[in-house]
Order: sequence, then structure tokens, then C-alpha cells
Amino acid sequence: MRLRPRPGGAPEGRPLILPLRGAAPPPFAEAAAAAGFDAAKGEALRLFLPREAVLVGCGDGSPAALLRAGAAGLRALWPQDRAAPERVAMDVRGFAPADAALLAEGALIATWTPPVPRAEPWPSPPRRLDLLCGEEEALRPALEAAEAVAEGVRLARDLVALPGNLLPPRAFADRLAALEEADLAVEVIGPKRLARMGAGGLCAVGGAATSGPYLVTLRWRGSIPADPVVFVGKGITFDTGGVCVKPAKGMEEMRADMAGAAAAAGAMLALARRRSSAPAAAVLAIAENALGAASCRPGDVLRMLDGRSVEVVDTDAEGRLVLADALAHARRVLRPAAMVTLATLTGSVVVALGHHRAGLFGSDPPLMAALAAAGEATGERLWPLPIGERHRRDLESDIADLRHCVPAGKGEGWGGRFLPDACHAAAFLREFAGDVPWGHLDIAGVESLAQAGPFGPKGMPSGFGVRLLDRLVARHFEDPHRL
Amino acid sequence: MLDISFAKPSLPSSGALALLLAEEDVPGALGPWDEATAGALRRGLEAAAFTGKKGQTATLLAPGGGLAKIVAIGLGPRASLDAKGREAAGGAAAAALAKEEKAVLDARLAGGAEAAAEVALGAVLRHWRFDKYRTTEKPEDKPKLSALPVLTEEAAKAKAAFAPRKAVAEGVFFTREVVSEPPNVLTPAEFAERCKGLEKLGLAVEVMGPKELRKLGFGAMLGVAQGSANEPRMVVLRWEGAKKKGAKPLCFIGKGVTFDTGGISIKPAAGMEDMKWDMAGAGTVAGLMAALAGRKAKVDAVGLLGLVENMPSGTAQRPGDVVKTASGQTVEVINTDAEGRLVLADVMHYAQDRFGPRLMVDLATLTGAIIIALGHEHAGLFSNNEELAQQIVAAGEAVGEHCWRMPLGEEYDKKLKSDIADMKNVGGRDGGAITAAQFLQRFVQGRGTDKATPWAHLDIAGTAWTTKDHATVPKGATAFGVRLLDRLVAEHYEG
Repeated sequence: MRLRPRPGGAPEGRPLILPLRGAAPPPFAEAAAAAGFDAAKGEALRLFLPREAVLVGCGDGSPAALLRAGAAGLRALWPQDRAAPERVAMDVRGFAPADAALLAEGALIATWTPPVPRAEPWPSPPRRLDLLCGEEEALRPALEAAEAVAEGVRLARDLVALPGNLLPPRAFADRLAALEEADLAVEVIGPKRLARMGAGGLCAVGGAATSGPYLVTLRWRGSIPADPVVFVGKGITFDTGGVCVKPAKGMEEMRADMAGAAAAAGAMLALARRRSSAPAAAVLAIAENALGAASCRPGDVLRMLDGRSVEVVDTDAEGRLVLADALAHARRVLRPAAMVTLATLTGSVVVALGHHRAGLFGSDPPLMAALAAAGEATGERLWPLPIGERHRRDLESDIADLRHCVPAGKGEGWGGRFLPDACHAAAFLREFAGDVPWGHLDIAGVESLAQAGPFGPKGMPSGFGVRLLDRLVARHFEDPHRL
Repeated sequence: MLDISFAKPSLPSSGALALLLAEEDVPGALGPWDEATAGALRRGLEAAAFTGKKGQTATLLAPGGGLAKIVAIGLGPRASLDAKGREAAGGAAAAALAKEEKAVLDARLAGGAEAAAEVALGAVLRHWRFDKYRTTEKPEDKPKLSALPVLTEEAAKAKAAFAPRKAVAEGVFFTREVVSEPPNVLTPAEFAERCKGLEKLGLAVEVMGPKELRKLGFGAMLGVAQGSANEPRMVVLRWEGAKKKGAKPLCFIGKGVTFDTGGISIKPAAGMEDMKWDMAGAGTVAGLMAALAGRKAKVDAVGLLGLVENMPSGTAQRPGDVVKTASGQTVEVINTDAEGRLVLADVMHYAQDRFGPRLMVDLATLTGAIIIALGHEHAGLFSNNEELAQQIVAAGEAVGEHCWRMPLGEEYDKKLKSDIADMKNVGGRDGGAITAAQFLQRFVQGRGTDKATPWAHLDIAGTAWTTKDHATVPKGATAFGVRLLDRLVAEHYEG
């Protein structure tokens, strides 16, 4: 679906989406009253008289509510059992360009369908969305940015939706290599070279799979002569848990264990598409945590890329091992101005924060504040969590430089049942971030939709992180004077 | 309590000596002690590679001058030495001297009178031990130290500075003791009885039993209690210390489940013995009230304890039961092991109804989820009031009882929706500590308006008990919250 700003009123005969922050305007007022429509509730109301239209409430007017309103409006015009009208319009007169762009972005994101082939294809979305506005020129740049970001979100969701057999490490790396088309510089390091480099964490985790592991670097040069901001993503294409195999229940969701890498790649695509001035890069650790003769074992001691040794306690805490090597590689090769890790890292963060916020950790308060602010501005909300002295102490190993997690059942008190694993994981990663300003988003719990809604059915990818990272760069790394 | 006295410096000629030394003092400022030991102190510290680093200790045996031993304790660089550092050094000294019959602690190099009092506080806090049930321990295995003179140039001033700290320590010990008591001893009635004992400090103590609670409409709390042979109690402890009469008091509310089996939704056996400390919130509030009264704090404060035992039995409440809380709101009990919030709901409502408090802080060992979120170094802090939350975080930092702010929000509250009642008592495993806090917030009067009672909730499930010794907290009950809330009151609400 393409976006097009269009000055003036609503063209006749074309379905209209009408985002509302208050009462419905005259031609729709009666119908709205009859349905008890309340814009503050953020509902969508489909009308056929006096014309085909969808009234959609903007809720509390927050970025998340606007995005959702745009999506709900489009979805109401496009039931999944039939093709959408070719062209639809959305009346954004009276909205500031940034808010109008959020509405449009929501509509764009709502057009996504899973990329998996079916005999009966998904009905196609509208081809064009006209944004009815006052001044075309005021809106155009915001819409272009929205299109760029939505394309990044689409990429991330496509990648996350693909199951383990359709996106093994090799295919993931190939998909990323194809991003050269977007003017990103791509470097793919395969298993042999990784072994030679000594990327012991990544090689151990990915060793039992039929393809991979890979370490993929995407670079966007930008136009500011500065060190890049670097996104480091966890890309476990499928996570069986390895030798410490997961329970069968819910294991199919582990196709999404590469959502961090997907979001980082999506953000890079967004930056490239909107020709961001900021230099940026993504380092993506791609592997399948498979169960096989070459799997790594609990008790194994690995030699990591940065030279440190790590005792493996639980092979299902594999994400931090691949990220440790990716962080070391990023530091060594890219001279990062800042690093942000994104990973579906722990179940613990889901117990901590549920499905409404991702966990935010880091070593650099200004960067963490910037991440939190970008999250608020995009509706991809974060909540800070601590890395305490004791979290680090818990990772002391009797045999290696450190261990990567605390054994199950070895917590303090309560029969040892409760472990702050998200904090432990962050404490572990901090060791490999060195002195580079570093933030870490544990996105387990938010990488998929927690409930069915205008963005899709429950459990489908959310694309969480793409919009947040794009906003982080726009707000903090595009200032030419930041040096 | 370790008997602390403050004395002008004089050279002891027997027993043990603990010396607190900053990095700058080694080896320059060893002074009279080095002379008394004919240079042995300097030589010994050198051989032990003692540099005065924070937390470092070195023990020199038979150093001469008649002394049995000298324990040197590092304070770190003097510029970064703070109250917490001095308390920790006092704690380290107490631990190192525990087996001595006679010992003195030289605190002069830690600072003046205030510093000496802080060192002394650290020593008493660490020295505390709960051993009333050890009947066969050999005398040589027991700690022998019962008195500790602290050497300072300003003995009289130090004694005065120590007095309020001693009162707070007494409060901490009350808390540690009730938390440590086994559940067959500390039933709700026994807990209430011990609270009665606090009347001697000037607290007004009321105890209410099932009959009164029924009259008050405490359906949620009584539902939890109904499975146990031990009757529930609510204890109200009042301290009126404010100069101005008739001001709105501060309310502190504690969860006091004297033993939590989980009820019909019974817990796994492993670690269930830890559930004797599921009354730590109430224990902390009682200890806090003792501290405030003991140091005659200029504040009006009320402590309210909801005391019950959660047992499975023929009379126990069932998953699926609907109970009516004192506020009139109804709750569908999905999990009988989420009982703490049911108790707090009724007590919080009562506290606001009766006292119209200026603010309300509840403490509870409420969820395992908070440990999965934060571990054991921070308590979870939830609040509807920015200012109060910041005050609590700062007070916690000052005394080394750390709190970490956790989120609240409508999106979490939605998970409590019930098909049959006003709410369920659990919102699922995900975000479990947050949904528990959301549940409590439903009992904050005026919620969602600017007239809402300022409220904070501390989930202390991860911090109420420790399996390791810490500088001023020996293994076991920590009394986390007593010093924090005492500091909160002292900093912001007295006068």
C-alpha cells in the first residue's frame, strides 16, 4: 500500500477512515450517537450511511493509541475474508504532521500478512491510502519517514513469522545479504571463519544445526563523520533449548527467537530507506540452537571471541553466548559510539514485566534515558531493570572466568525456585560490552502480539524495536554536532 | 543487644582490639597502638598486605602489649567514607570479635561522635543472633562478646548520638525476632500478644479478633483465615509524637501470614519452611513502630498488621470462592496462594476509612515474581505518587535497603478482570508482581483522581530473608524496611 497526501476533502465513492479525538462530525454524528461511539475508547465503528466510512477513536492520543487507531481504521475497511477496496482515504485534517504520520504508519503496518506461501493466498490490502490534508507539503516528509519505518517493520515481521524450516540460518543470512539492494553494506561471516576467529560462543550454540552459524554485519554510512551507533541482535532461528531441551508445550513459538536480529535489520532498512544522516550498523548473531551430536553440553567451557572463558550451565541460555561474541566483534571492528542489544533473551523478563513493556538494562544512563524516551514516543515502551552487584557475583564460576547463568533450583531461599535471570543475562552481556556506552532491550514477551487486534492475530510478530531504534537514531544520532 | 559504651581512648592491656583504618592511615597513623606493640602492628599489617581497602580485614595474633589480638578493618579512602561504610566497618568488627570475651573497638579514625555512633550501630546490628532454640550448642561455639566499648574522643556526644540509633536497632531486633520465630510458636494470636508488649514504649496497641473483623466486613481476610485452627488478628499500633495535634497520620500496613502453605492451592514441599517469614511485612511494620516510639519520633504514625495463617483444610477457602472485601468490592479467589493481597485489601481499606492518612505504605512478601524480576538486592517499589516514590528510593539508598521502582498501568489492571466478581485475585504468571500491585491499588481510596491517598507498596519477598551474612545483617531475617521507613519519616515527616 502506498501513501499519498491529498489536499482537500474526501473524494466521493471511496471508503473513508475518519480518526477522531472527540465527537463525530455532522454527517456521522447521528450514527455515532446511535452506536454509543466514544473516541476515547479507541474503538472503530464501520458505517455505510451516509457513505462508507470507519470512525475510529484516537483513545488517549498517545503515540501508541494513534498508531493503533490508524491500524484499526484500515482493518475495519478490510475484513480478512475479502480483498480490500483498491483505494481508500483517511482524513487527517486537524492532526499535526507527526500524528498524521503515526495514523498512516499504523494503517501501513496493519496491511501486513504472513509471508508463508498458502494455496489460498491472503486477501490483498488496498493499493493506495490517500491522506486528506490541508497542506500537502507539510505532510510529505513525515509520510515518507513513515513509509520507510513501516518497511523496516514489515521486514522484521516477515523474518520473525518465518518458521524454523523456512528460515534456517543460511536463509536468514541470504535474506540479509539481499539488503545490499537498499544501499546497506553487508558482510556475512560463515561458520569456518567464525571458528578461525575464535567465536566460541556463537560456534558452540550453532554447532549442531545443519546450517550456520553466521555473524552478519549491516552498515549504513550516513553522512555525518562519526562513529556508528551499533545494534546487536540475537538471531536464533529456532531454539530447541539444545541439550537442556525445552518442554514441548509452546515450543513452536521459538521460531521467534530471532526477533532481536530481525528488529535490528528492520531498523537498518528503515534508516537506509529514509537516507538517515547518522552512521549506523547492526551486528547479528545468527544460529539455530539445535539438538544433535554436536550440541554443546552443560558444563562445557567455551573460549569466547574476546578471549574469556565461559562455563555453560544451561544450554537454553544460548542467546547471551551468541550476543557476547557479537558485542566483542562489534567493539573490535566498528568502533561503536554506542551499542544496543536486542534479544528475546529470558522468560524472567516476561514474569517481571508481562507483555506490555520490554526490559531495559544498560551501563550508560544517558543512553538508557534516550532509549526509554524513544520507547515512549513510539509506544514501544520499556521499563528499566537493575544490574546489581549480586547479579554479577552470581555469575562467578569455579572453573572459568564466568558462567553465563545460575543453575535452575539454585536461587536463594524459596526452594531456589526464583532466579532473576533477566538481570543475570544483562550482567553477563555487560562484561562483553566493555566501556562502550551500552543499552540492552530484553524483548521476550513483546516480540509477538499479546492479543489479537488490528495489527494481527495473537502470537503474530509485532516488529517491536524497529520503530524505537529508528526514533532513537532520529533524536540522538542525526545531530551533526554531536561530536 | 550487644552492650555498647563509649570511652575516651586508653590503651587496653588485654583482650582484643579492633582498629578501623582508612587507606590514608596505613601505615602513617598507627600512632599509639604501634608504640604499644613495639612496632609489631606496623610489621604485621605489612606482612598481611593490609592497605585499608574497604572491607579488608587482617587479624594479628599476640601482637604484644598484652593484647590477644588486633583486628584491622579497612575503611577505604577517607573521602568516600559514608555512614553506610562506617556501619559496615562496625559490622565487620562485631563479626571478627564475636568469640572474644573482652574487646574494644577503636573508632577514632572513622570520624567524630556521629561516626562512632554509626560504627556502634553497625556492630549491634551484626552481632544480633537468634539462638533461643539451640539447647545443645557447646559453649565454645557460642559467641562470647557481650559488651563492646567504642573508643572515641567525644564519648558523651557519641552516647547521645547513639541513643536514637539504638532505638531503631531495638525495632530491627523486634522484627528479626518475630520473623525468625517458627510458625508453631508465632501464631497470629502470639504475634498480637508480642505487639501488646510494645505498649511499654508508649504505643497504643489494639488487637481485634474474628468477631470484630466480621463486624468490620473483612470478608477477604477472613476467607484466608478460615482454613486455620489459629484465629486471625488485626493489630493497630498507634504512635502520637507530632507536636501539632490532629494532623493526618502516616499509615504503615504489613502482611502478616504467620505461615503460608498456599492453602488448597498448596505450594511445593521444597522450601516451604521459608514460608514462616511470610509475615515479614507485618513484622517490619511492628518493628518500625517500635523504632519510632523508642526514639520518640515527632510524628503521628499508625501501624496496621493483618495476621492470619493460610492452611488447607476442610474449612479452607476454595479456588472459585467469591469473597466480599471491607470496601464492598468482590473478589473471585482463583488461587488461594495469592492470599497476601486479600489480607492487605481489607486492612488498607480500614486504615484509610479510620485514619484518613497523609500517606500509606504497605509491606509484603507478596510474590515470587518480584524475585524473578529483581533478585534479592532490591525490593520492588510500586507507587501512585512520584514524590513519595522518590523519597522511599532515597531513604533506601541512605540505609542500604535498596528499592527498585516497578510500573503500574491500566494494561496490567485489565488482567484482573473476572467473569463473576469485581476482580480476580491473580492476573497470571506474566507480570505477576505488577498485577499483584494493581490488585492492591484497587483498594486505594480516590484512585485515579488527584485525591487518591498517596500510596506505596513494597514487595519484599526477595529481601526479607537472606541465606548469607552481610555487613550489618547476619544470615536470616533482615528486617528490611525498618531502617528505610524510619529514615523516610525522619527525613520528611517529622516536626
